[in-house]
Amino acid sequence: MSVTSHHSFCLSRIPFKIGQPKKQIVSKTVERDFEREYEKLQKLEDQTKKLHKDMKKSTDADLAMSKAAVKISADLLSNPLCEQDQAFLDSITALDTAMKRMDAFNQEKVNQIQKTVIDPLKKYSGVFPSLNMAVKRREQALQDYKRLQSKVEKYEEKEKNGPAMVKLHQAKEELRPVKEDFEAKNQQLLDEMPKFYQSRIDYFQPSFEALIRAQVVYFTEMYKIFSELTDQIDQGGLTDEQRQRETEAKLTELRALSIVADD
Amino acid sequence: MLITNMEVPWKLPHIILPKPASSSMRPQGAVRRGAIKSTLKEELQEKSDGSSEKGDEVGEEKLSPEEESASEPVNLEVIGTNTGPTMFRLPSQDSLSGENTVSEEMLAEEARKKSKEEEAAAKERAAQRQQLAIEELVQSERNYLRMLQICSVDIRSSLQQLQPPLANLDRLFLYIEDVMEVSSRLLSLLDRRPSGEPQFLQTLCDSFLSLSSDIEAAYKEYLAYYNQISIVENSYKQKEALWNEIVRIIKASAPEVNASSLSFFLVMPVQRIARYPLLLQTIQKHTDTSHPAFKLLEKTALTSIALNCRINEYKRFREVADKYKKTETLTIKDKINRLNPHSIAKKTARFSQQLKHETGIKPKLVDEEFDAFEGFFNILEHGILVLLENVETYLLHLQRFLDCRTEEFDLDMDGEKSPICYKEITTALRQWILPTFEKRMRTLIHKPLCALRDLLVGPRNLIRKRLDKLLDFEMIESKSTLSYDEQAVANTYRTINTLLLNELPRFNGLALQMIWSMLGTFSCMHKDLAADMEQLFQSFAQQLPHSHLHPSAFWEWAESAVLESAKKLQTVCQNVEDTLNAPVVQPLSPSSQRRLKQLTDKHGSGKIYQVASTVVGSRDLDLNLARGELVAILSEADTRGDKRRWLVDAGGRRGYAPSSKLIRYHQAMEDPPPSPHLIVPLDVTGKRRHSYTPESQPMPMRVVRQPYFQVIAAYDFTARGNHEVSLRVGEPVCVLEPYDKRGNREWSLVEAISGQRGYVPSNYLSMKPVEARPPGFVF
Repeated sequence: MSVTSHHSFCLSRIPFKIGQPKKQIVSKTVERDFEREYEKLQKLEDQTKKLHKDMKKSTDADLAMSKAAVKISADLLSNPLCEQDQAFLDSITALDTAMKRMDAFNQEKVNQIQKTVIDPLKKYSGVFPSLNMAVKRREQALQDYKRLQSKVEKYEEKEKNGPAMVKLHQAKEELRPVKEDFEAKNQQLLDEMPKFYQSRIDYFQPSFEALIRAQVVYFTEMYKIFSELTDQIDQGGLTDEQRQRETEAKLTELRALSIVADD
Repeated sequence: MLITNMEVPWKLPHIILPKPASSSMRPQGAVRRGAIKSTLKEELQEKSDGSSEKGDEVGEEKLSPEEESASEPVNLEVIGTNTGPTMFRLPSQDSLSGENTVSEEMLAEEARKKSKEEEAAAKERAAQRQQLAIEELVQSERNYLRMLQICSVDIRSSLQQLQPPLANLDRLFLYIEDVMEVSSRLLSLLDRRPSGEPQFLQTLCDSFLSLSSDIEAAYKEYLAYYNQISIVENSYKQKEALWNEIVRIIKASAPEVNASSLSFFLVMPVQRIARYPLLLQTIQKHTDTSHPAFKLLEKTALTSIALNCRINEYKRFREVADKYKKTETLTIKDKINRLNPHSIAKKTARFSQQLKHETGIKPKLVDEEFDAFEGFFNILEHGILVLLENVETYLLHLQRFLDCRTEEFDLDMDGEKSPICYKEITTALRQWILPTFEKRMRTLIHKPLCALRDLLVGPRNLIRKRLDKLLDFEMIESKSTLSYDEQAVANTYRTINTLLLNELPRFNGLALQMIWSMLGTFSCMHKDLAADMEQLFQSFAQQLPHSHLHPSAFWEWAESAVLESAKKLQTVCQNVEDTLNAPVVQPLSPSSQRRLKQLTDKHGSGKIYQVASTVVGSRDLDLNLARGELVAILSEADTRGDKRRWLVDAGGRRGYAPSSKLIRYHQAMEDPPPSPHLIVPLDVTGKRRHSYTPESQPMPMRVVRQPYFQVIAAYDFTARGNHEVSLRVGEPVCVLEPYDKRGNREWSLVEAISGQRGYVPSNYLSMKPVEARPPGFVF
């Protein structure tokens, strides 16, 4: 059957060549349904893993960024430069306090995201190996079924003498549990796969909501912190161009000093 | 007299049109000549004899204008004795310097008459000369500006089109625009009044004085920078073809002058600034002291001199600074080549001086003021470097964050609100909010910080050089007389020290201000970012299904929803594993069942294997085995240690069988008999941790064949409480769960034959194969 040829669980373990039975074991429709459901699951697996990986990376970068911002102010605060000028020290202290508060809120945000987004994503990805294994087992069962079915068919074609009848009976006896096993597994998967696929919506819904809500809280706090700080340490209401011009003017003034090498 | 009169027209063109080269070469001479209100004759004398008394005297005059004006009446008096109250410098001086011995009355009368005529003529001539000198200044300024324009506009634009582009072309014209600007401002002020008008002199002086600080600022930089211009031009000259092309452009752009280099034009400001004193003094010389603008003119001339002095001073400081502030990029080879006895001696001397300081043999020259500035500079430098490094780390993580494309997933949830909102938010913040923030961060903070870091190099090098020179200086400081070289060392030290003392505080102050305002900017940028983000997230958050919930209620809901889902997921997982991973178990024939019991009793269930395909023995002691036959393993190798041949017990017969044909005989997976000998694989325990939840094990499709086994009590067990159940040895039981409520496998939940349920130790249970199926107790 075509399933084995293009599926990732293609069996390399079958030790001998299987005779193809004449009887159609699984209907084409069933096989197609099965393939379609399984393909959907495989895509879902890829996407879940990717999202999990990206979320983790992005959270790590977010944390690192926040820590780097804290380090900017902390290093300045520990620089003896602050001892030279009380007003400068006040500014840096205010900056440092703000950075640390921001970092604390960020940490809380990240913790919430970890709990409500990243961990659930990880758990969800964890189901796929079991599913894949189950699909593999079904495929094994199908191969066993086919093998025994063709064996039964072989004896049925032979002369109906005594020993042949005994062998036919034995083969049929052997086939029965294998057939039942396959049918059970097949049915189980046909039931479980769409159910599981459907479960993603209810499963991830809270995660995305939490992801957005966590940031709302974080940025609301961050805005409060930095509005306050900006009022305290920044000359208000400058446009970027004005800031650039001011900086450029200072740099020009510095470059005009004879002790400064300009090149 | 005739001689002097004749001298005037001969001398005139020389004074009015001094050659730029000579005037720039001797600005001091020009100053001196102008400052003494000397006659032409005197000027001639002075030219031939630079050390004339008059010259020295005026040298002092030049320093203080007050003194000069004080000496003027004396001059007048001397002149007055011969020429009367009105002073005409030219004739009076003539009479002083000429033969005064002529005493005849007649001659005197004649002379008086003649002098009156001459007086008028001289007055006329002086006015003409003054006019000529004024026009000379204006006209030369106009020409000068035109030349600069040709150079910086026409020639420059042609040069810009050269292919390949000229390196450092812009550096040639770095400060020329400031110079041109100040020159054109001067001209436009002068143009407000025709130069022929009597009040023009006043305008001229006012214009010059009002612009003098701008002139100084513009020319100061140009002159200090001029060396660089020469370097760039010389670099062009190295390439012959290129240079020829440049010369061709110059000639084509300015055919009226015979220019053959760029410096022909570019040196003009250098000449021009030195020429102002000369031109002004020439005008002054031809201006009567009684002229209403005379004092102003005098002041202007002096200003132009002072301006030149300051420019020169600035240039000198810059040269010393330039020499030492740059970090030399020398290869090791260059450094070795540079080593010579002199440099080694210098370095050794410095080193030993430093050692003497360290060991306290000699006191160090302490300059507390300088040390304070240097200390501040050091911590400032450290602060800037650390800040820059931290900002770079921050930007790096920001970039990493931007690289995470968390919106690019497809969970096939497009009908749902929250993932769509999340995608839209993330797209917005990744594509414009954060990139804007990053760009601002780079332009407003990172770039200026880099520039500031680069500016640290100059002062750093000068501070280092100052220490070197200080060590040199200390060694010669105590000497009473200094050699020429030692004098130079002392001067260099003093210059560097003064330079640093003057400028380092300014540098420190400005740099600190920059850092300060950058931090303000940093804060403001965070505020703006937070405002954008809050707005973005808030606008989407309102569309979410649970937006009505209060934060605390929301998080309670979210966390419990997540936990619930996780539990469901676990159940799904368990179902799949339990049901689909169970192996098929073939029914056993009565004879096989007998053998299974026999082998299990003898060897234990762990040793039972089934033959996968018919085995025909080929060697001594090999067994012939039928497919499906059950055997027990006695040894997993033959006597020679060959692991491929196992010693097996086939129900009485013993012998070897190929291990590859034997597969472990699986008994029922769900409820492995918890016998004391049974080794439960670790992974199974792990996966089954939560499976004791009763509803987690609905197995609707279970059709797996079970072997006919009966679990029995292996020993008597007496219940110690009502959660346990008592058993008699051999009593058949039904195992409900092969572990306790915490998943501990040492206890099993069983149902006894009486129907009583409770826990018993798992190792009290054993199992036996059964022939018939007792209803209700089969697994």
